[in-house]
Amino acid sequence: MSEFLEYSLLGILSGGVTALVALSFVLIYKGTGVVNFAVGEVMMLGAYLYYAGAVTFELAPWLAFVIALAALAALAVVVERLVLRPLSGQAAVAVLMATIGMASIIHGVVEAKWGGDTYSPPTLLPRTPVNLGEILIPGTVLGNFAVAAVLIGAFLAFFRWSPTGIALRATASDPVTAATLGINVNAAQRLTWILSSLVGTVAGVLIASSAGLSPLLASAALSVFAAIILGGLDSVLGAIVASLIVGWVEAVAAGYLGGKTRDVVPYVVVLAILVVRPHGMFGTRTIERL
Amino acid sequence: MRTGIFHETFASEERLWPSPTARTWMFAFLAVLFTMPAWGSDYMLAIACIVGIHVIATIGLNLTTGNAGLISLAHGAFLGVGCYSVAWLGKHSVPFYVALPAAGLLTAALGVIVGLPSLRVKGIYLAIATIAAHFILTFIFREWESVTGGVPGTSIPRASLFGFEFRGDRRNFYLIYGCAFFLALGARNLARTHIGRAFVAVRDRDFSAEILGVNLVRTKLLAFALGAFYAGIAGGLLGYFYGDITPDYFLLTLSVFYLAAIIVGGLGTVLGSILGALFMTFVPEVLRLVAQASSNVFPGVASLLLPMQQVVFGILIIGFLVFEPHGLAAVWGRIRRTFHLWPFRT
Amino acid sequence: MTSLTRRKIVQGIGAAASVGPFSLGSALAQKNEIVVGASQPMTGVFSFAGVAMNNGLNDFCAWKNSKGGVQGRQLRYVSEDSGFKLDQGVAIFKKVMASDKPSFFYGDSTQWVKAVAQDAIASGHVMTSSTSLATVVADPKNMPQHVVPGPTYPRLHEILMEYIARSSRTAKPNIAYVYADTEFGRDGIPGGKARAEKLGLPIVAEIVTKQAGIDVAPEVAKLRRAKPDIVIFQGYILAPMPEFVRQMREAGLNPQIMGTAWGLDKPAYDALGALGARLTGVSMYRYGHETDAPMINEMRGYLAKARPEVKNISPFYVSSWLSGMIFAEVADRCLKAKKDLTLANMKAALESMKEWDTGGVTGLLADVSQHMIPVGRMYSYDPDKKTMEPASGWIKV
Repeated sequence: MSEFLEYSLLGILSGGVTALVALSFVLIYKGTGVVNFAVGEVMMLGAYLYYAGAVTFELAPWLAFVIALAALAALAVVVERLVLRPLSGQAAVAVLMATIGMASIIHGVVEAKWGGDTYSPPTLLPRTPVNLGEILIPGTVLGNFAVAAVLIGAFLAFFRWSPTGIALRATASDPVTAATLGINVNAAQRLTWILSSLVGTVAGVLIASSAGLSPLLASAALSVFAAIILGGLDSVLGAIVASLIVGWVEAVAAGYLGGKTRDVVPYVVVLAILVVRPHGMFGTRTIERL
Repeated sequence: MRTGIFHETFASEERLWPSPTARTWMFAFLAVLFTMPAWGSDYMLAIACIVGIHVIATIGLNLTTGNAGLISLAHGAFLGVGCYSVAWLGKHSVPFYVALPAAGLLTAALGVIVGLPSLRVKGIYLAIATIAAHFILTFIFREWESVTGGVPGTSIPRASLFGFEFRGDRRNFYLIYGCAFFLALGARNLARTHIGRAFVAVRDRDFSAEILGVNLVRTKLLAFALGAFYAGIAGGLLGYFYGDITPDYFLLTLSVFYLAAIIVGGLGTVLGSILGALFMTFVPEVLRLVAQASSNVFPGVASLLLPMQQVVFGILIIGFLVFEPHGLAAVWGRIRRTFHLWPFRT
Repeated sequence: MTSLTRRKIVQGIGAAASVGPFSLGSALAQKNEIVVGASQPMTGVFSFAGVAMNNGLNDFCAWKNSKGGVQGRQLRYVSEDSGFKLDQGVAIFKKVMASDKPSFFYGDSTQWVKAVAQDAIASGHVMTSSTSLATVVADPKNMPQHVVPGPTYPRLHEILMEYIARSSRTAKPNIAYVYADTEFGRDGIPGGKARAEKLGLPIVAEIVTKQAGIDVAPEVAKLRRAKPDIVIFQGYILAPMPEFVRQMREAGLNPQIMGTAWGLDKPAYDALGALGARLTGVSMYRYGHETDAPMINEMRGYLAKARPEVKNISPFYVSSWLSGMIFAEVADRCLKAKKDLTLANMKAALESMKEWDTGGVTGLLADVSQHMIPVGRMYSYDPDKKTMEPASGWIKV
């Protein structure tokens, strides 16, 4: 029994970082309607820039972290301008492929610059484990979850109470009305991209600190897609809840069925849920017009 | 549009190659293609065989995603199903002319199952449901060792016709291109039947299509099944060509490769599929050539240029999407029109 | 851009692309040279090893040429990047076979070896090798053209088990297997488990993980309950071994860590040694820092001159250098006996190498007649010298 509890707890805690990546995706989808398949690569690039700052240029880890955040925000602005504006009218497949193309470019650049080796970036958080009777929670898992929880809490508060956050929500739900009410829609969408890239960078640095930094980091994002669909593509709350659930499912599957089932099991669960709720648990039902 | 062609019956209007010129060009092209083993180098033949396999798979994906609008990222896994089916049937002494269609039908059946979510979900939700199917299938490839050989993979007995073994590129070339020709013809023909029209109706507005009498369930499942059938055949031919395969071949990146091929080539047309598959297969080859050639002039640039393959791939995709959204087929169409209407402008 | 210019550019690119790959000047092998072709994964998921593999074979050919070549003939190395993709690797094979008529070909993966096997045999003039130590390619009967420059993975694990049995003085230690779900990870495990069972060594946990991006916490939880004395890693190059060790430490476990050669390169032993882990492993080659072998010294000397920025000789480098040595020896034996470099002659020459001196790359005189080199040695991490030092003699399996 304590084994089950331990796996469950570990899973839910590691779901926190997945929630960060899911948040990064959902922000963009909600704000601009774009499906961003490049979340994994954004995460990876953020982690690599942090590593470059902290190790290659030997800056203090905090400073390197901030620089990585700034660089990715700038990249997000550039991408939004150059790639996504021209494609705003096109079919879903086209925009999907554009983000896949972006992911390829980022992946290629990272591989060209840093090669395929694995690096160990310095950690920002303490590592002391926590003992709860028979259950042991490693420090990294707890630390990552704490950071993720704080950040997500901050975002939820931002969206609820800050004027800018409300403006972003307004732009997301109806850009035309938001524009007539005087909200600068372009600036709002740009801000959405910036926020999304910031969240992605944080997630990337957290994962890299515990799992090592290599171009394969981007594939850690695949389980996030399961969480996103489970929660509903345009629901922030859904993304968070679903990530915790997916984290739980993954850890329990890894514990009882073996680590190689980690990729498959969340997707099986998602398929099952889609039958009952085709827009995810919390996604908005769209009404199609004839 | 060619001048001087006057259709007097509906049937002649619907012909696939309406003018004598078009027919002549087609014959010439086929003649050149099917005599390639005589005049081509080994390298060219090997590339041609790989291109042929990719063309078949791309035509299949274009039917599902280009014509019927159902985004499928499970295509790579379908190839795997075809390949492993052919391997298993071959080990049980089933001749290739039974094994290959059987593999196609098996994959089609699986395609129907994978396509079931399309009855409930749409768009990106469907895409990710197909990713789920892909992961499940690749998991089966790796774990079902008795049939697929597991992680080390399996060997595939070569196709043989009454003792004539299809060993080597020259013979496999005919096998592959024979299948490719008939499958391409079938797909081209599909567009002028009611099934093809139903696909397009479903893509554009499926509720309206249903009101007009298109059976949504049958059409969507048929779209998946047909796409999977093509992928199964392509996978089987892949097995016969390589003789040996591991599950590492059928990754999600393969599905993305085919998706890129149909976008670059042009959604919804057979010509687009062919051009897209050609293009995607050649990009790494051309890049390697450029890297090698330039490393003779600037040594050390190879290590910078080679990882650029992915960057170039990404730039090409985005470039096509932004500047040429209807793909290479549209470019081809424009070039043809220039020739047909010369000296007039298009 | 006007639509006319855009069209012209696209047409131009199309024409160039269609002509390009077919207009290679063919560089047919000259009479007095031996061509060594290679399809190396210099980019892609295996690039950390691919660059080293490419350098190893390239440098061996250059070094051998500087020593007079093989029977006066120079070795010409032709290599291209396969990106670890099977389509490209096979295309490279066909291209180089058509244009350069090589006598030897080095490939990037087990997939590749199996895919080109029939074509290689049919051509009748090429021998292949690769860094893969998989059981399925060390097969003189079905793969007469292929040679594996080392023992197969199961044999490496058998060496490990024998060492554990011999060196545990008191009770039988509990062993845990942690490996990746790839061929590199899985191939050796059944052999290791079988030998452990024969020796009565209990395996208390068998953990399979994905290749990368792994969250190790649930696995460490499992290990904590199994309480192993020895943890054997297989299939990882660096990550996630350090994270495993760190988390095991935090969970109160301090087992001995064991592994096999590819996973015991400098980045791995540096990281694990820095954590204070007790590290032992089996390697089929001498390490690049050892000084008692003439060939290793030659490698170091060549690298110091030609690639001074390379500080560490990775086992992938040594492996491809050794493959080059095998190729050169096979060619040498054929040419000395005045035989042409056909597959039949080269196979016979290979199988005659029963007591071949590798110059210390592998200990003991190598017996390559079974198309592999079944020799290995245990190494332990020495915290003072911060390197891996020999912990046993060379064992033949």
